[in-house]
Amino acid sequence: MSEASNAPAPHERRGWWSARTPGARLARHTLGLIALAVVLVPFADLAIHTRDPWMELGRMLRGMVWPAWGSLESPFTALGLTIAIALWGTLAGVVLGFPLALLFARSRLVRAACAFIRAIHELFWALLFMQVFGLSALTALLALAIPYAGIFAKVYAEILEQTPAAPRDALPPRCGRLSRFFYSELPLAFAQLVAYTRYRFECGLRASVLLGFIGLPTLGFHLETAFREGRYPEAGALLWLFYLLIASLPWWGHKRLIPLLLVGGAWLLGPWPSVDGALLWRFVSQDIWPAALLAGDWAGLDQWATRLPDLGAAVGNTLLLGLLGTVGALLVALALWPLACRHFGNRGTRLASHGVMIMLRSTPELMLAFIFLLLLGPSLLPAWLALALHNGALIAFLVARHADAVTPGMPGLSATGRYAYELLPRVYPGLLALLYYRAEVILRETAILGMLGVATLGYYIEEGFDYLMFDVAFFLLLITALLNILVDALSRRLRPREVPFEDSCIR
Amino acid sequence: MVAGNRPPLVGFAGEDLGYPRKRQHDQVVLPNLTLELHEGERIALLGESGAGKSTLLAALRERLCREAAWCPQQHGLVGQLSVYHNIYMGRLPEHSALANLWNLVHPLKRPWRDVNELCELLGLGGLAKRPVSQLSGGQRQRVAIGRALYQQRTLFLGDEPLASVDPHQALRLLALIDERHATTVIALHQRELALTHFDRVWGLRGGQLVIDAPASELTLGDLDALYPDANDQVTGSRDASNAWPTQASDMTSLPCSRGRL
Repeated sequence: MSEASNAPAPHERRGWWSARTPGARLARHTLGLIALAVVLVPFADLAIHTRDPWMELGRMLRGMVWPAWGSLESPFTALGLTIAIALWGTLAGVVLGFPLALLFARSRLVRAACAFIRAIHELFWALLFMQVFGLSALTALLALAIPYAGIFAKVYAEILEQTPAAPRDALPPRCGRLSRFFYSELPLAFAQLVAYTRYRFECGLRASVLLGFIGLPTLGFHLETAFREGRYPEAGALLWLFYLLIASLPWWGHKRLIPLLLVGGAWLLGPWPSVDGALLWRFVSQDIWPAALLAGDWAGLDQWATRLPDLGAAVGNTLLLGLLGTVGALLVALALWPLACRHFGNRGTRLASHGVMIMLRSTPELMLAFIFLLLLGPSLLPAWLALALHNGALIAFLVARHADAVTPGMPGLSATGRYAYELLPRVYPGLLALLYYRAEVILRETAILGMLGVATLGYYIEEGFDYLMFDVAFFLLLITALLNILVDALSRRLRPREVPFEDSCIR
Repeated sequence: MVAGNRPPLVGFAGEDLGYPRKRQHDQVVLPNLTLELHEGERIALLGESGAGKSTLLAALRERLCREAAWCPQQHGLVGQLSVYHNIYMGRLPEHSALANLWNLVHPLKRPWRDVNELCELLGLGGLAKRPVSQLSGGQRQRVAIGRALYQQRTLFLGDEPLASVDPHQALRLLALIDERHATTVIALHQRELALTHFDRVWGLRGGQLVIDAPASELTLGDLDALYPDANDQVTGSRDASNAWPTQASDMTSLPCSRGRL
């Protein structure tokens, strides 16, 4: 963008479009992305279906400003269950994912399996397990543990791979794999592993809240009910409770308190299902596969395919929303990062924008989308707004931290000059890299937003489960996972390289 | 000293040494090297950075891996672990994996005693429980030497193990190394030390072994030839090199090699 305009003009004044500087390449890249989004916007259903969204928004804000603390019923049970599920789910993910991380570099099969289980959102896993284990703690734990095992395997493997080789090489020969790992690899990576696990636990808290949307009695359950029934003061109180929970994490999530929380949480977890082995086996071996496929009846399979919803439209909507969400996040991030950065504004504006950003970034997309949906009615618009705002705020926050570390070379420039000449050229490659990291997450969220009534793949998956068409739902889940893996591969190719972002806590 | 007719511990006869690279031809650093190492020799390995010292030491380590204690250039220490654990790693293969794991939780009795004795000798007394990341550069250097000593081998291979300790300490550490190993090959930059405290000098320059002679037959001037920069300095400012005694016999009177790295 502006980087290109300050690049030296080529000799024959062909303009920046053909310039070969890295800045011009990034600018072409960005403008191409935005142009693609603009061309495709007419295909998206962005209509507002409610009559008076502003009045509804006013009521919601009033609810936020004057929350009704007194009307909450047993908020502490919900809070405790939310924490217990997140804690035990993450722990189970670590236990499953760590051994996989050790095999990750060596086995293509493990890498593929991890990519697959990662690509399916926690809520979809919950929907799947709910069919067998019902609304139980087991469903919730598995829904978190399984995708997290895939994520941990990948990220842990990356962290372990980056440990310096010198200590390993210095060991005497014939040390044994286990001893070598515990003496010369694990200690070097431990701090980073713990930091990532903490970050994942925070994600687990948000996911645990969301599990309430499909009926598990966590904080999200009460939130959804209160919002749906228009009891905004109560919803406001629950939202504040959620923000307090996230903001106070450094205190209650102290490492000395974790064992205590684990024991206490185990007591809160429940109810436990009575697992019927035969039923489970039937579900895995028969229910989720098309009957015709199991019978080897290819003509019947053709007929089965006609029962599928219009796949083209569903996939198209998912990809379109993913693209619009990514571009929206880019624009939001470009507009927001200066507000939270020490080079612009005064203490007041920075504090205020910090507050807004923390709110946007700690509210899960699904919850934001749900709120916008109540305001605007079921179209792509609320989903787009939610994706753009949440991810944009997250990227803006990280970019602002990056910009804070920059000391401008020319003091006394005007604010726009500082933005365009000093800071943006420095932080922009990082911003774009973050955006591509998030693109995969955005697509995964896009599918899940279907559960709110937006016509993405998730809509049909939930419909499949609702009508007990497990084979259709499972097939669509596979399509979703495949789509995610493809987009992940694509975004990895497009991502700017040589960017100093070592932090693994963005995925 | 040099064993007359006994076979060498290791010998290279016109071999190309280098490091292997993935999917490419090996990078040859020391072409056509001819060299013998005999038991009981104390060898100083000299040469400017990049001359191939580390390559030669790596090749020696590869051939002698069972007999050689190894002290690498970048120490190869694990900063998060304590001094005790880092030194203990020298004998990691001698314990079972289970014992090694338990040792991380609670130090094993015998190794704990042995390592503490070693720490006293190295001037690291009372630091056994301190994480290595909290130590100074010189202290880390001594931990790395301690780890090599703890391996209790007959042969010591060190890649600049005396680089970041003060000259007095360098002499003490060298004495400790010599006392516990029959044969030593040590890369270093202190030329005076090479002439006074070693039997033999190997000098590398640009991938060639240009010096392979008893230390008693060499002068500092001979060693200067290993460092191209030293010649520039000689022509540039004569004063600096005049201030240095150039006879090897003078060296014996010097307690240490302060300021002549």
